[in-house]
Amino acid sequence: MSKANFWKLKKMGAMILTLAFFSPPLALAGESSSDSNPGGQLPAGAMQEKAAEACSTCHEARIIVQQRLSKPAWTKEVDKMIKWGAIVDPKDRDAMIDYFSANFGPDQPAYTAPRTATASQSQTKNKK
Amino acid sequence: MTSRRDFLKTASAAALAAGTARPLLSWASGNSSAADSAYEHVAIAIPGKDGMIVRSARFLDLETPVESMTGWITPVNHFFVRNHMFEPERFDARKWKLSITGEIEKPLTFTLADLEKLPVHSVVNTMECAGNGRSLQNPKVPGIQWGKGAVGNARFSGPSLKTLLERAGLKQTAKHVQFRGLDQVPGKVPPFIRSIPIDKAMDADTLVATKMNGAPLTAHHGFPARAITPGWAGAASCKWLTEITVLDKPAEGNFMNPGYRLPNTPVKPGEAVKPEDTHSITALAVKSLIAAPSNDAKLKPGAHVIQGVAWAGEADIAKVEISTDAGATWNEAKLGKDQAKYAWRLWSYNWKPAKSGDYTILSRATDSQGRVQPEVPAWNPSGYLYNAYDQVKVNVQG
Repeated sequence: MSKANFWKLKKMGAMILTLAFFSPPLALAGESSSDSNPGGQLPAGAMQEKAAEACSTCHEARIIVQQRLSKPAWTKEVDKMIKWGAIVDPKDRDAMIDYFSANFGPDQPAYTAPRTATASQSQTKNKK
Repeated sequence: MTSRRDFLKTASAAALAAGTARPLLSWASGNSSAADSAYEHVAIAIPGKDGMIVRSARFLDLETPVESMTGWITPVNHFFVRNHMFEPERFDARKWKLSITGEIEKPLTFTLADLEKLPVHSVVNTMECAGNGRSLQNPKVPGIQWGKGAVGNARFSGPSLKTLLERAGLKQTAKHVQFRGLDQVPGKVPPFIRSIPIDKAMDADTLVATKMNGAPLTAHHGFPARAITPGWAGAASCKWLTEITVLDKPAEGNFMNPGYRLPNTPVKPGEAVKPEDTHSITALAVKSLIAAPSNDAKLKPGAHVIQGVAWAGEADIAKVEISTDAGATWNEAKLGKDQAKYAWRLWSYNWKPAKSGDYTILSRATDSQGRVQPEVPAWNPSGYLYNAYDQVKVNVQG
């Protein structure tokens, strides 16, 4: 990738992040390391893009990827979220339940959450 | 508009360019190991929140690392954050209003300046999210997968809710007090509306707090005002408070039912519970946590201090016991001198392991009502009020 293209993409990424955050106190500083964190990612699969789109209006993928649920539990969650406004084509519902059950079932290893930066990390960043 | 995939590529490239991370796209590129690719090495910048565990950045849910629970008062930068929705957009605090309507004689509206003229009451309150410890439940249940640290102890100040309600004049029919905040509700998600019974609302220690640890509330903690319902699960302490409605019965809606309810009688792990066999969560359970040593610590031979915190909602901590042999024998810990009605107690126990090897350290609190932290948690379908013995495993090196 050329340097010019890289910065163009980086700028677009930062712009999307800014748009994605509702609240100004949560808006992330442009140069912060959080640019590299799109909120946990959904794994590859037929439903990856549709799930990302249906869920991300209200919350980031991290809320999904930390769950470890059985198929009946995922069925309840998907139906609850559809009731709460997630836009899922009825013909995709079963595939979406399968997708979440296969990737985030009870036997998957636990998700390891990231940390917020510490004050000293933030200060170092500001000095740059 | 660039696609999400482009954005992910961009983000990953940025991380690599900054020399901070391995590729974040390992899932998308075919590596399907959750343990490997779900781990994010890059810290997330949340101003005012230091080294917190990010359960969710959008909406914001931050957990306090248990290792930092070594002081009586939790600083705001280490206090957990539990949001169900998006925080309110920045607004002019001078235009903020708090209304009181419903089963009262005279509807009232308070500005921040009005609140500041009322007598100030302070309460040191240990606030814990009802879902704290949910990730430790077995079988797993849906919800934010809190570890141990959705709990903190802070001094909250502001007028007693009672003062406001007395000015409005309660009718005989007043039975519950409902709170609503300014948080923004996405999609068709039900709003975060809950109520507390009138007796708790009229307790002088239940506050409309404007300050936390002596400073104005921060945005993440409910600026400019929040309810503080001390000793109760955090969900009873509505943030960004703007509407108080006095009701003749409990509030309705998702966050009263099925939300925040426990089975009336113990259920087997994994068992379904009928809504009519449940009740609303009120006061917190008895519980202790081990702050040090940390789990999986490698300790040198010699003397060590095992320390932590213990709380019991509306009750007092009577004792904390420690076992260093996986529960075979127990010894009483020393309680810290700082105490207040709804506040946790620090505790410590001096330990000198007799020999090198692996040790399982347990903590168990007992309260003034005779409640004892159980060995096995009471499982429930939403994983609320987990309070089994706390446990850390350490290795003492020879």
